[in-house]
Amino acid sequence: MTSVAIAQRAKVPAERSQAGAAATFLAPATLAVLLMLVAPLLLLVRFSVNRFDATDMMIEMVTPENYLRFFSDPFYLSVLRTTLFVAVSSTALCLLLGLPMAYTLARMQSRWKSACMLAIVLPLFVGSTVRMVGWMILFARGGMIDSTLRMMTGHGFELMYTTTAVVAGVVSINLPFVVLTIQSSIETIDTRIEEAAQSLGAPPSRCFWRVVWPLALPGTAIAGILAMNAYATPYLLGGPRFQMMAPLLYWEFATNNNWPFASALALILMGTTLLLTACSNFLIPKRYRA
Amino acid sequence: MSELRISRRAALAGAVALPFIPGAAFAEEQVVIATWGGDYANLLRDNVEEPQLKPKGITVVQDVGDEDPRFAKMMAQRHLPRGPDDVVCLQGVLGFKASEAGLLETLDVTKVPNLVHVHPNLRSGNYVPHIYSLQVFIYNPDKIKEPPKTFTDLLDPKYKGKVGLGDGNYLYVMMAAALAATGDASKMTDPATRAMMTKLNENGLRLYPSTDSIGAGIKSGEIDVGIMWLARVIMWQNAGIPVAASFPTEGSVLYVSGMVVPKNAPNKKGAFDYLNAMLDPSSQARFAEHMGYLPTVDNCPLTGKIGEQLALPKPAPKMFVPAYDVVSKTQADTADWWKKNIQHT
Repeated sequence: MTSVAIAQRAKVPAERSQAGAAATFLAPATLAVLLMLVAPLLLLVRFSVNRFDATDMMIEMVTPENYLRFFSDPFYLSVLRTTLFVAVSSTALCLLLGLPMAYTLARMQSRWKSACMLAIVLPLFVGSTVRMVGWMILFARGGMIDSTLRMMTGHGFELMYTTTAVVAGVVSINLPFVVLTIQSSIETIDTRIEEAAQSLGAPPSRCFWRVVWPLALPGTAIAGILAMNAYATPYLLGGPRFQMMAPLLYWEFATNNNWPFASALALILMGTTLLLTACSNFLIPKRYRA
Repeated sequence: MSELRISRRAALAGAVALPFIPGAAFAEEQVVIATWGGDYANLLRDNVEEPQLKPKGITVVQDVGDEDPRFAKMMAQRHLPRGPDDVVCLQGVLGFKASEAGLLETLDVTKVPNLVHVHPNLRSGNYVPHIYSLQVFIYNPDKIKEPPKTFTDLLDPKYKGKVGLGDGNYLYVMMAAALAATGDASKMTDPATRAMMTKLNENGLRLYPSTDSIGAGIKSGEIDVGIMWLARVIMWQNAGIPVAASFPTEGSVLYVSGMVVPKNAPNKKGAFDYLNAMLDPSSQARFAEHMGYLPTVDNCPLTGKIGEQLALPKPAPKMFVPAYDVVSKTQADTADWWKKNIQHT
């Protein structure tokens, strides 16, 4: 027997004991996830194929009618379209505003870097609903924007209950997450790579598109996911006429007590979000994908 | 220094005897009430729980939340042998739905003696009405000199973009439209009712996400007219908002808020005591004074400023308690129609 074979045989029990220890440490977390996340999801799947009944709430059966109702009704499809529009436009805006901020922060050498980071994190200390109340004061008739414009031009400008208000609100909530995620991605890129690219004749724009952009892109997925599932912002800034998936889902669940249809809506929303996240992965060149 | 020694047997005997010692602190019983928060919960605490139940050794825990999730929770937990709540606050329609679903304890004067004073038109077998209010037209008296008298008046082009409603009140707004269009508040799915509501929507109707935002809309001049509860008008008047009420000639639908005892309530005796205390004239008068809702009992005459504010015009306006059996059956259909035709334009 060669010395290599003996060494390999000795390695196997050591690996086994390591795997055992890892399993022991992972088991509680795995069990918690199974109980707290997977079990409710399975329950949601089960509810979504039940039938709604005004008196009994739910009649147990296996029917696709809740899904068919969603996909065959132009109203629900238009709600999904609005949700997608808000998600895509707010994510694009987050990227446009967040990328320069994240890049500057990542490359900042100044002693003010911590203060800048704190300024970005600070809005997250306030709940999103409270922040939306601030936006409501700003956007409302007689609010700051309306009053200022009325004073200057004689004409007011009502932003409340408009798509612009909702997109602005969603951007304000998601921007810190985008900046922090992209900034941490950019910090992992060695500045020498950028310098090497430039020394080899690549202009800064090419260096950005080939090096920084692909690594920063995964950070934007979080903005898309958060925007798809926004509830308080469309409800408070968009008003009852602005319909997105999450407020609609809540209406069906709470106001109508239609748990089967609300469950189907929740799963459709979740599926669409997952699909979009998977699609966004294709925007990243293959060699950079995880 | 002497040492006190207590044997294990003596300690156990003492523990067993403790509940029988008069005045033992843990003799208190607990009642859990699922309720709205804010002023309503504070008034319950200050006028029902502290002055009336605490002296009887009953401590109350308030489970504060919105009504819809409260009802959903009640439905979901109906099969539990012991539910989480002893008393649940619900408005009339959901109270009827809970009753229809067989979730509620039957109530009578042997359990809740003050039920004998409840107005007959508000009585029901297992629902205790707590407060009620009339649906009225609200308007800004600084801008509207001739207030609307019927629902049809709101369709006038002079009110274009100046009428506001609370989206959460959709069911009662549809009842008002039904009353004007058909003479029957429960005919919410009637084509005439829907046509009238559609016309109002086309006249630039503003929908607000909450009741309070309607008051803000009146104050800022965004709207001049709306449909609201008389109680809210009084609250807003007291808050300095320029608002007045006019009673619809076709009649006013009543908003009734009350309480129920679930069949699986852990402390039913305590729940009955709570309901009885809630119907007491002293607490009823405080709700009228602070929230502008009318008492549901006949032994609580209102005097002073609130008596004047809540005095109904003469001749008294026609009042309609919703036909809860019909309303609860058509609610899902009405909600669906509202969502697709009024919200979505």
